[in-house]
Amino acid sequence: MILDPLIGGIAIGCIYSLIALGYNMIIRAMDLLHFAQGEVMMVGALTGVTLVAGLKVPYLLAIPLVMLVCALLGLALDTFAYRPIRHRRVPTINVIIATLGASILLTNVAMLIWGSEPIRYPPVYGSTALVVAGLRIPQQYLAPLVIGGLLMAGLQIFFTRSVIGIAMRAAAQDRDTARLMGINIDAMVRYTFAVSGAMGGAAGALLGPIFFASFTMGEIGLKAFVAATLGGLGSMPGAMVGGILFGIIETFGALWISSAYKDAIGYAIMIAILLVAPSGLFGRRTRA
Amino acid sequence: MGGRRSALGWVVLGIAVLVLPWILPQRYFLRVVDLALIYGTLALGLQLLVGWAGQLSIGHAAFYGTGAYTSAILTTKLGVPVEAAFVGGGLVASLLALTLMPITRLRGNELAVATLGFGVIIHAVILNEEWLTEGPFGMMRIPPLRVGPLLLNTEFRFYYAALAVTAITYFAFRRLTRSRFGRALEAIRQNEEAARTCGINPVVYKSKVFVIAAFTAGLAGSLFAHLNGYLNPNDFTFVESINVLMMVVVGGLHSLGGAVVGAVLLVFASEYLRALREYRMIVFGAVLILLMALGGEGVRAVPRLLLAAARQVFRAARHRWAPPPGDG
Repeated sequence: MILDPLIGGIAIGCIYSLIALGYNMIIRAMDLLHFAQGEVMMVGALTGVTLVAGLKVPYLLAIPLVMLVCALLGLALDTFAYRPIRHRRVPTINVIIATLGASILLTNVAMLIWGSEPIRYPPVYGSTALVVAGLRIPQQYLAPLVIGGLLMAGLQIFFTRSVIGIAMRAAAQDRDTARLMGINIDAMVRYTFAVSGAMGGAAGALLGPIFFASFTMGEIGLKAFVAATLGGLGSMPGAMVGGILFGIIETFGALWISSAYKDAIGYAIMIAILLVAPSGLFGRRTRA
Repeated sequence: MGGRRSALGWVVLGIAVLVLPWILPQRYFLRVVDLALIYGTLALGLQLLVGWAGQLSIGHAAFYGTGAYTSAILTTKLGVPVEAAFVGGGLVASLLALTLMPITRLRGNELAVATLGFGVIIHAVILNEEWLTEGPFGMMRIPPLRVGPLLLNTEFRFYYAALAVTAITYFAFRRLTRSRFGRALEAIRQNEEAARTCGINPVVYKSKVFVIAAFTAGLAGSLFAHLNGYLNPNDFTFVESINVLMMVVVGGLHSLGGAVVGAVLLVFASEYLRALREYRMIVFGAVLILLMALGGEGVRAVPRLLLAAARQVFRAARHRWAPPPGDG
């Protein structure tokens, strides 16, 4: 059945979308490639396993808690690492390297806390599958689809309806004009890191039960990075579509072409798309 | 710049690096120095890309790995003399860079992600094409470097070969960056559109600088293959690309000397921080974040900052003991 792997691809894709949203929010707000985003997701997955297995928190309650922890982590990264550097007016590449430093730091702190063995989530999903129009959707894929979908819809509402969301978009679009309108740019940057951290946390909590939770899983962030580029760096719809598209490409690439070249196929398609559309599918046409 | 003082500096530096292996002949230390020189060559190429042309490349390990594997395959499987294989590593890596030409139309972050993807693809090829690269087992029994009858099979002898490669790369790049080519790269970094209106075709220049950087990365890879005698696909991952990028930024952008200094610092740091065991990478990450606050100059800013701090302390002390007239 061709549709079964498709469901899996879309479900994983939703998780990529959540991480990619984090990347793109930060790129849009300050033109910064945030390499520690995958590690925020990793901390989310490991925090989730501690909550669910260690503290016996129900899984559905654990997800918002993980999001809170990761929002604080994003905030902390900005406050203690990036902002002091940014305020010294260094070249952007210095801040990018600082995010790489943060990713190394988080990976190794996580290894110290949670150990180097991958941790399995306790079974959070039942084995029954939802059947919609003859299509089997296993529960482990249902959660990313539903929760991921809800989060993305919520984020969209946040950015279009709430004052803070609109202010964040304004600050990203034109820093100086936004400042003249009385928007506190530094605060908007903080919110951006917090919201993107929360998205990363949700991705981690959703991904953990499908695979494992491990200190190395931040590498998955790189795939989401490709997904973000595919959709268009700095674009919100781009991140959502790019993530789902990358999930599908990866699944079918592994199925039809070669599982050993699974990652490489995704990257090759990304490069091919960039050659046709240099700023991705939903990328900004013009740039400053 | 120039003048008697800097000429004297070069002579002192030259003598120091030439006698270094005699003063500190410990094998382990020399091995680390050899590695530092290999990375110095690698970082010089990336400095040209990042520091001069302003192109963020995060797939440099692809060229490094291609050079290493080319040289290893040529010597172990095809019986090519080591000297020829060494050059072959650089040539094949730069040929590979030619295939990047379409990518150079991209800019900024998109270019960076494309080079990242390129690195992942090359790594996947090295890992999976077992008939060529032995796959995950790695290439073994790679012969040591030799120049004619001279077998460079010890860290001590290898040092001079690596030093020669790094020095030649450094001086060649010094000339290059002070030529029209170097000024064109700077123009592209500052404003690609403006450069285009001045008759500089950014795609052509970006491709050329990728080819040059790839050539030196390939040579560095050959050196590594023949120093180590063994290659593993995981020596050439994304992490390695990032390492080289860190060297360039730590040493300071837009400085050839800085690239070499950054390479030496990072190679020594990652070797000698081993004593910290599981805390090693935590300390490394934290220090890296701190260093980034130094700005575009990287560690080159440290002496100036120290001098300024010392001057301030000195002035404060003088004020305390002898307040200037009118101060109270």
